[in-house]
Amino acid sequence: MNLKYEILLLILSLPYRIFAQLTAQEILLRSDQSRNGWEAFVVRTQITNYEQGKLKEEGNFEVFIKGEDRSLVKFLNADVKGQYLLMLEDVMWIYLPNTRKPIRITPLQRLMGDASNGDVARTRYAQDYAAALKREETLDGAGCYVLDLTAKRDGATYHKINYWVTKEHLQPKKAEIYLSSGKHYKTIFYDAYQETSGRVLLKQMTLIDRLREGRKTIMRLTSYTPQDIPAKYFNKDYLEKLK
Amino acid sequence: MTSDYIRKQSLLFLVRILILTLPNTVLAQELTYRFSLVNEATTNKLNLSTPLNYENRILPQPKTENLAVANLFLNYGVVSVSLNGSASANNISKPDYSSSLREVYVDYSLTDELNILVGKKILKWGTGYAFNPTGVVEPQRNPSDPSDRLNQYEGRKLLSLGGFVGGSSLTLVYLNDVSLRESKLQSTDHELAVRVYSLVGGVDLSLIAHFKQRQKPEAGMNAAYVVGSNLELHAEVLAKQSSRSLYHRVITSDDERQFFSSYPYVPLYENSGRIFYKLLLGGQYTFESGLNITLEYFHNEEGLSEKEWKQWMRFIKFHNDIQQGNIVIPPALVELSRYNLLWSLQTVSPRGTMRDYLFARGYYTLDAWSFELMYFTNIADLSAVVIPSVSSRLSEYVSVYSRFTLFLGKDDSEYGALFNRYAVNLGIRFQL
Repeated sequence: MNLKYEILLLILSLPYRIFAQLTAQEILLRSDQSRNGWEAFVVRTQITNYEQGKLKEEGNFEVFIKGEDRSLVKFLNADVKGQYLLMLEDVMWIYLPNTRKPIRITPLQRLMGDASNGDVARTRYAQDYAAALKREETLDGAGCYVLDLTAKRDGATYHKINYWVTKEHLQPKKAEIYLSSGKHYKTIFYDAYQETSGRVLLKQMTLIDRLREGRKTIMRLTSYTPQDIPAKYFNKDYLEKLK
Repeated sequence: MTSDYIRKQSLLFLVRILILTLPNTVLAQELTYRFSLVNEATTNKLNLSTPLNYENRILPQPKTENLAVANLFLNYGVVSVSLNGSASANNISKPDYSSSLREVYVDYSLTDELNILVGKKILKWGTGYAFNPTGVVEPQRNPSDPSDRLNQYEGRKLLSLGGFVGGSSLTLVYLNDVSLRESKLQSTDHELAVRVYSLVGGVDLSLIAHFKQRQKPEAGMNAAYVVGSNLELHAEVLAKQSSRSLYHRVITSDDERQFFSSYPYVPLYENSGRIFYKLLLGGQYTFESGLNITLEYFHNEEGLSEKEWKQWMRFIKFHNDIQQGNIVIPPALVELSRYNLLWSLQTVSPRGTMRDYLFARGYYTLDAWSFELMYFTNIADLSAVVIPSVSSRLSEYVSVYSRFTLFLGKDDSEYGALFNRYAVNLGIRFQL
């Protein structure tokens, strides 16, 4: 094999070699980028619940994300208008306009249907989970890394996740969520991605309830808008000032 | 310079600031609104054997009621307004129509970290669900309706300065229920509250101090913490030296067979030097099924002791016996006895009259249905209020609910002595 041929082979295999050298935690970190396009941005989110194939409920939200660990969910439906969910690292509060005060809540308290608060507000798994590479396998025709994610801190939304990330684009493909009791809680399929301002970002995910048969939730991330968000929006005591 | 002059100049200064800042801030904003219309019908099963209101004669209560409340909240830039209009009718009095300005305030960002707010606003401090000892700036609230389903709470007139740095904040609030009477600005006692909040190691921690003219200051703290994915714990404590709370004079006497010819309430512990504290310990647990359970213990040192309650109740029974004709006295004193009974009702507080309470709540949602069960009990006499309720979300705009309130206990216990045995509410809510 001459030198030219060897160099060509090396160049062609470079992307694979780079990825092959990634640790499990780095794969997780890169996969987080498909939900986090900018330092600060707003993503409009629609959550639809189905039971036995029938539409049960639909909710609309605006999610404000700043940096690695701050997110604020604004509820848009008429019956929950004025309601906010704030998440700082793994600490969460809900603000209800009638009670007029932010209430500390636990990660398991549900936002709507099968979507936990963390499914919407928590978009960086690398912050919350320690990853270990279990195996590699093909899922729906796509080569995937299968990661074993274990909660690094008490406040993580879930205890344990089996996480499929595509090798080609390092995008999440599927997640199997387990509770601390070991029960299979839900399965998430990351269905589609969209290009927004030159970035490929998650467009839709489907959450299948494994505890209650026939229930599923579709979460659509309809638009991403990069924008500067004042730091005080993420202060618990500022919630009562948001309208 | 007189204090009136200073007051007027301060007000003018504030108005000037607002006028200067309004055009820039208001015009750049969009209108935000919330509207709700609630109609609630109530049937009461009256407690005819209570000595507080025997056979419903002392303070007649309705058996059936209907209340419709419309609430409109508007925000445009820095200005927010909340208006209430209500119509009520019952089986014993004429229909009543009323309106109120629940809130009207200007909230302006001086810098990225500093906010100033002036006007009438509902503020709530505290981490508890049913009880909030550190809610020193709150309007009077009813623990059995923490979510204010009928929008009954009204704001207080205040000037507030808030500083927000990272996850911490400092809030200073000056409160005064000023009013304009005959072209003169009339003020009440000055009141100042301070709160310092920070998230320390995952713990929400607020330190609170409250100063009111002619009263001893009070200070306290509240905290909340989440353990794992399911459990939240919270606590509040507030302490002060001496108390200006009013107590019926009969509780200090051994003789319940008394007639008071004037208002019988006095601040018994005004200069006592005794430490009075309020304490709340609570938590909530969310099960994997989504069921949420909240438990709270509340202690209020300003409440009546068991002995004081019993003495007050003996006094009530004595006057009740007079009203029933079981004790014969000169006719001139019968009317005075009735006044004594009416005055005595002021001892009963919806926030708890005695010292120790337990609260439990279970909450579960299933599709469009929400189920809630609340339980309050007075630890001393074990009387209780049980409130199961169910609501159904018919659409994004319309929901219906039913609520059953059951009062349990003997006729001389705190909750067993209330005017109703039970109440049933049926409501419909429309919102935009």
